[in-house]
Amino acid sequence: MTDAFYTGSGAPPAGIPEWEWGDDLCAPFVELLPVSGASISVLRRDGDATTVCTSDALAQRLDAMQFALGEGPRWVVARTAKPSFSADVARESHPDWPVFGAGLPTLGVSALFAFPILTGPVLLGVVDLYRRSPGALDRDATARALSLARRVAAPAVREAMRAAADEGSPEAKRHSLRREVHQAVGMVFVQLDVTTAEALELLRAYAFSTGRPLEDVALDVVDRALDFRDLPG
Amino acid sequence: MTSASREHRLNAAFVMVADSLTDDYDVVDLLHTLVSECTEIVNVQAGGLLLLDADGELQVVASTTESAELVEVLQLAAGAGPCLDCFATGEQVSVPDVAAAARWPAFQEEALRRGFRSVHAIPLRLRGDTIGTMNLFGTSVGALSARDASAAQALADVATISILQQRVSAHAQLIAEQLQRALDSRVLIEQAKGAVAQVNGTSMDESFTLLRRYARDRNLSLHALAEAITNRSLPISALTTSHEDVRMSSRRPAARKQE
Repeated sequence: MTDAFYTGSGAPPAGIPEWEWGDDLCAPFVELLPVSGASISVLRRDGDATTVCTSDALAQRLDAMQFALGEGPRWVVARTAKPSFSADVARESHPDWPVFGAGLPTLGVSALFAFPILTGPVLLGVVDLYRRSPGALDRDATARALSLARRVAAPAVREAMRAAADEGSPEAKRHSLRREVHQAVGMVFVQLDVTTAEALELLRAYAFSTGRPLEDVALDVVDRALDFRDLPG
Repeated sequence: MTSASREHRLNAAFVMVADSLTDDYDVVDLLHTLVSECTEIVNVQAGGLLLLDADGELQVVASTTESAELVEVLQLAAGAGPCLDCFATGEQVSVPDVAAAARWPAFQEEALRRGFRSVHAIPLRLRGDTIGTMNLFGTSVGALSARDASAAQALADVATISILQQRVSAHAQLIAEQLQRALDSRVLIEQAKGAVAQVNGTSMDESFTLLRRYARDRNLSLHALAEAITNRSLPISALTTSHEDVRMSSRRPAARKQE
């Protein structure tokens, strides 16, 4: 496939249905593509990402794993701005995401696809798609996914900015902006007198070594059930 | 110009524009080169490029000479003249004899005074939108040949793609920057809340209230305050100890700030 295929134009190709973008930005990907679920994230600097939507619990789990591990198809797309295709994760090798890949079979995930969300030449985020059964996306489905990914750029940016500006509404708490993670970073930053970057690394390392999701560790810190000054070393 | 060298020059001009679509380039430089190449290739004596700006005015963006003469003629033509007609219709406008173009008296007078006897205006358009015009001026009477008009249009068409792509890119960059700023702010504010909660033993909501009050009292944005706390240029103790002083001594009027 050439670059022209990826950059495309603003108008949807013939045969691809229009979609009324409502509140659920993940919905069209699940409705219009042969996949089991989707998540959309918007990229921050420093290799971070903000999740805008997830279609189901498994999509949310995969999203959290990629965030916690710092590896996965999303990060490959974030680096390359090109789609990532894994039609059969159990049979393929994943040199870019060995740890993430090893966890997939137990979750029942057989195929993964990730598409860049582009506006002009600028990469704004990634759409992550998974399927419980293996199998590639055919040419039509791929074209459809690329087109939808391009068209979700503006709604995704608007949603991410709206959520970021929202201080205390119930919706703000519901959105997976990982506020507790950043709050926990602030607490560890004080507890250990380290930089915020170091604090995040320490939280990640602790989550990894205890086999718990980063968000759960962060909740413990925020609830004051876990104080990093009490940890050995 | 010989036929072979004309072909060569035309091809070189296309290659240059094609390169600009993938490389980092300055669009104004590109337009200057385009208009001067086009002028040479079709054998006229001067050329200028008008583009619609954000306010809906046609502006001179590039010309083969910076001399006031050409620029003034162009501006007049953009007010009432072949360039404006070209822009309005999206079609080429040919004026083989300016002396006969009485319908634009101010433009006609100025053009003749500067020695321009013929004008050819080429639309910059893509999919029904005209974003400007490329305007070619000759010192002798006569229209462009069909071949030259066609070559000029082809160059104008690729220039249009280049301009539009640069605009999309600039717009996308702007959006990306605004997005990053909003996301960074949120992260910094949450980190600052956590830090304040840790030091003071308060809830996240109480911590936020403290941060917001301090920021308002000192006319700081939350972003700037959170940044100062997380890079330790402001100690967290400052949030509580100086509040009382500020409240008693400040007569500052309320001001609207960016967050």
